[in-house]
Amino acid sequence: MRKLRTFENIILDLSRYWQKKGCLLYYPYNSEVGAGTFNPATFIRVIDNKPWKICYVEICKRPRDGRYAENPLRFQQFYQLQVVMQPAPTNIQRFFLESLECIGFKLKEHEVRFVEGDWDAPTLGAWGLGWEVWLDGLEITQFTYFQQAGGLDLKEIPVELSYGLERIAMLLQGVKSAFDLKWNNTLTWGDVHRQNEIEFSEYNFLAADARLLVSLFNQYEAEAVRLFEKGLILPGYDHTIKCSHIFNVLEARGGISISERAKMIARVRALATQAAQLYKQKMSEQNVLKEGAKQ
Amino acid sequence: MIDFLLEIGFEEFPPSFLKKSANELSGKVVNHLHQQRIFHRSVRTIYTPRRIGVLILGLTRKQKPQVVEIQGPPKKLAFDERNQPTEMLQGFMKANNLKRSQIVVRKIKKGEYVCGKKEVVGANTEDILYEEVPKILKTLEFPKTMIWTKGGTKFPRPIRWIVALLDRRPLKFEFAGVRADRHSMPNQHFSFKPIRLEKPREYINFLRHGGVIVDPNERRKLIVKRIKKAVEKMEGKPLCTNEMIEEINCTTEYPEAVVVGFDEQYLNLPEEVLMTVLKAQGNLIWLKPTSRFVCVFSARKKALQNVKKGYTLVVGSKLYDALFYYKNDSKQGLTRMEANTKRMMWLNGLGSLYDKASRLSDFADFFKKIPGLNLQTLKRAARLCKVDLLSEMIREKDFTSLQGIMGGHYARISGEEEAVASAIKEHYLPKFAGDKMPSTKEGVVLSVIDKIDNVVGAFLSGNRPSGSYDPLAVRRNGYAVVNLINSNSFDITLFNAVDALLKLYKKDIEHEILFEFFTERCSRYLQDKKYRYDEINTVLARWKGDIVDARMRCAALKKMSGKAEFTKLVIGQKRVRNILKNVQGLGKVSTELFKQSAEKKLFKKGMETDGQLKTLFEARDYQKILDLLLAMRPDIDKFFDDVLVMCEDEKLKKNRLALVSLINRIFLCFGDLSRIVIEGEKN
Repeated sequence: MRKLRTFENIILDLSRYWQKKGCLLYYPYNSEVGAGTFNPATFIRVIDNKPWKICYVEICKRPRDGRYAENPLRFQQFYQLQVVMQPAPTNIQRFFLESLECIGFKLKEHEVRFVEGDWDAPTLGAWGLGWEVWLDGLEITQFTYFQQAGGLDLKEIPVELSYGLERIAMLLQGVKSAFDLKWNNTLTWGDVHRQNEIEFSEYNFLAADARLLVSLFNQYEAEAVRLFEKGLILPGYDHTIKCSHIFNVLEARGGISISERAKMIARVRALATQAAQLYKQKMSEQNVLKEGAKQ
Repeated sequence: MIDFLLEIGFEEFPPSFLKKSANELSGKVVNHLHQQRIFHRSVRTIYTPRRIGVLILGLTRKQKPQVVEIQGPPKKLAFDERNQPTEMLQGFMKANNLKRSQIVVRKIKKGEYVCGKKEVVGANTEDILYEEVPKILKTLEFPKTMIWTKGGTKFPRPIRWIVALLDRRPLKFEFAGVRADRHSMPNQHFSFKPIRLEKPREYINFLRHGGVIVDPNERRKLIVKRIKKAVEKMEGKPLCTNEMIEEINCTTEYPEAVVVGFDEQYLNLPEEVLMTVLKAQGNLIWLKPTSRFVCVFSARKKALQNVKKGYTLVVGSKLYDALFYYKNDSKQGLTRMEANTKRMMWLNGLGSLYDKASRLSDFADFFKKIPGLNLQTLKRAARLCKVDLLSEMIREKDFTSLQGIMGGHYARISGEEEAVASAIKEHYLPKFAGDKMPSTKEGVVLSVIDKIDNVVGAFLSGNRPSGSYDPLAVRRNGYAVVNLINSNSFDITLFNAVDALLKLYKKDIEHEILFEFFTERCSRYLQDKKYRYDEINTVLARWKGDIVDARMRCAALKKMSGKAEFTKLVIGQKRVRNILKNVQGLGKVSTELFKQSAEKKLFKKGMETDGQLKTLFEARDYQKILDLLLAMRPDIDKFFDDVLVMCEDEKLKKNRLALVSLINRIFLCFGDLSRIVIEGEKN
């Protein structure tokens, strides 16, 4: 019998694998995000077009996907392992496939399918082309070559791999519900998360104070704009992320009309786009200064 | 004789245009060889998800030599009286390295000239391919591309290797930062080790050993065979179309097949839902009516058990969700959903979905005279047709494509009449050019009503299409309206319908822009029906929105346009039209002011024709109408020959222009014939 891979060991093995490929090991962002892409370690870094390799776990919050811990595959909070390599190495596809081998999938005994999937994040003004990677039919990773971020064309095309850790662990452990995943040898994913899922589902769908959220959205937006004007781009972007999460909760809470929804997305995108452009401008000014200093 | 293999290797290509791209590549290479006078025995187009290419056997080593003629001096300057070469000819021969025997005389337009016949030795096929293949690769066209390297080459997915092998020699050109060579790549489930090819003829077999069937036709046959084998001795019939097989073919390098089961309770789902789940999960093929499906996968046979396990889990969980939604929706029923439509906004500033449904139901009255239509059924279906947008099923993105279809099911479950349910089900049709049409009368009319409302709503909410901007697919909706009305021969005047709808909106808008939009859509539709552009312009010049009538007029014109008299008819109206340019403020014709018999005759003919036309227009006998208009021609000609319209006497001139204008109006009842373009005519 093969030794059981615990959830935490899968994370450790993948992290170690990408560390060996030259990635910096990093950590989740300290504010709620919907995907690892929002983390400045991805979004801000792909804008400056400099070599960058990083690997981190992201805690992703998708308020709409909560199911009160009743659906085995759906939850309002889950874990992604995010890898960004900029520029994308030419053998990145092989690196990825070998990473699956390293956590215990023998390619000869499974089907890995790269299913066309154009990715875009409307609130970030970002898009790319790539695939959903299916292992034996189950989507386990999003594999994307970014083309634009913050509305800017990218030159050193980065590749982003977002592993869905619960899905991968379920296949490896052969369980039908994420709640049954062995996190370590004594505790399950459900032990860690069940209560959180139940309470946050109730919060997201019923208890959230929609008026407070709208007001917070407006205030964080104004604060982001104020910070951008002062040239404080990263704090401004931090408030952009907060707006994005509040929007997600509002959407789960219900009561935003189709047109309001589109408007709020556009408002977050405007902030993200502004952050990207200002950051790019600042970087190129600093480069000019550095060059000047050298001479 | 030599062979050539070209293979472009990449990460997984979008299946929807893989075949087309492979054909474009092989077609362009073969064409180019032909143009370069290089001949071959056979060609095979190659494609898999990870490569496109072409294998050409039996090529000539060199271009076929070619005899070219170089033009020299005129004959009379080339030879002297004794027929000996002059100095001029000798100079020409020397400059071009020609012998006397290569000199011939050719008669061309300018007279007789001497020519030097020269044989050009063919260039090497190798040199030509080396130069030309990268250029051809640059000309390939794709619907969507990306960049992935500094050079900025655009291609659908990153190119990772290129094989360009001419017999035993690799052509090491560079494209997209990749140097072409002799190494191909196997199926990734088999190995990552490159496959070294000594010569093109090894390609197909070596790759087969590497888990890749490169020939798409062979692979397609194998897919069909694998499916048949997998379902042998099993109940049920595999439900799959040729398109599905081809899509599987474009996502598979080495097909294997396995039968997978799901829980029988999911057979309670509507067939469309089951099929949608299976299709989205990678073209899984349902064994109707059992709880089993076939999965074609692209890996080693050893993977079979894991693939089976994986797909059981995924499909089971998707069907679980679907059944969950379906049960909730059925329990909730249409009435609850309908109440919720009040909370769902439609387009900016145009109220809720509930408001839209009420409007559609009111608008239905405009169509009540259509023979065989049950107005009650139509109005009920109009009220309920958008309700399923509030169902849990349709709100889930995997099932959004089932809008209307689920509405039909839920209507039936909630106890609506069958006719109401079918109209709801069908009212989104046709969804694209060439799609199915609704089959019931109420379905057709509901589709028309909904689409006119979509168009008008888009214009009212600032979503008017312009250029490539058409976020609400307003043009497609407009086209479908024209198509549905014409195909069902509805006696509906579209402009009146638009006005009736605008009244329901109680919004101020210049209806002309909507009329213009629908006229343009009708023009497009008639063009697709193979009518000429100028014929359509003629008919639509004074159009009031009757689509069937416009088509009949076009048909009459088309029939007549082959005849010799047609030109006469057109020139008749053009003459009338020209003289009326920039003329305004004409009164009635007064017969007392007629001075010449040609005036009287034309007036008489005009009145006579006008009288006859009325009944003919009622009968829509456009053939006869055109004949009558044509019969006015001699009188028009006589009038213009004998009578000076622009005479000194202001009164006479005005009266004559009024007569011409009268004739013009008679023509315009049919259409603006002056828009017909006659060959050789200068505007």
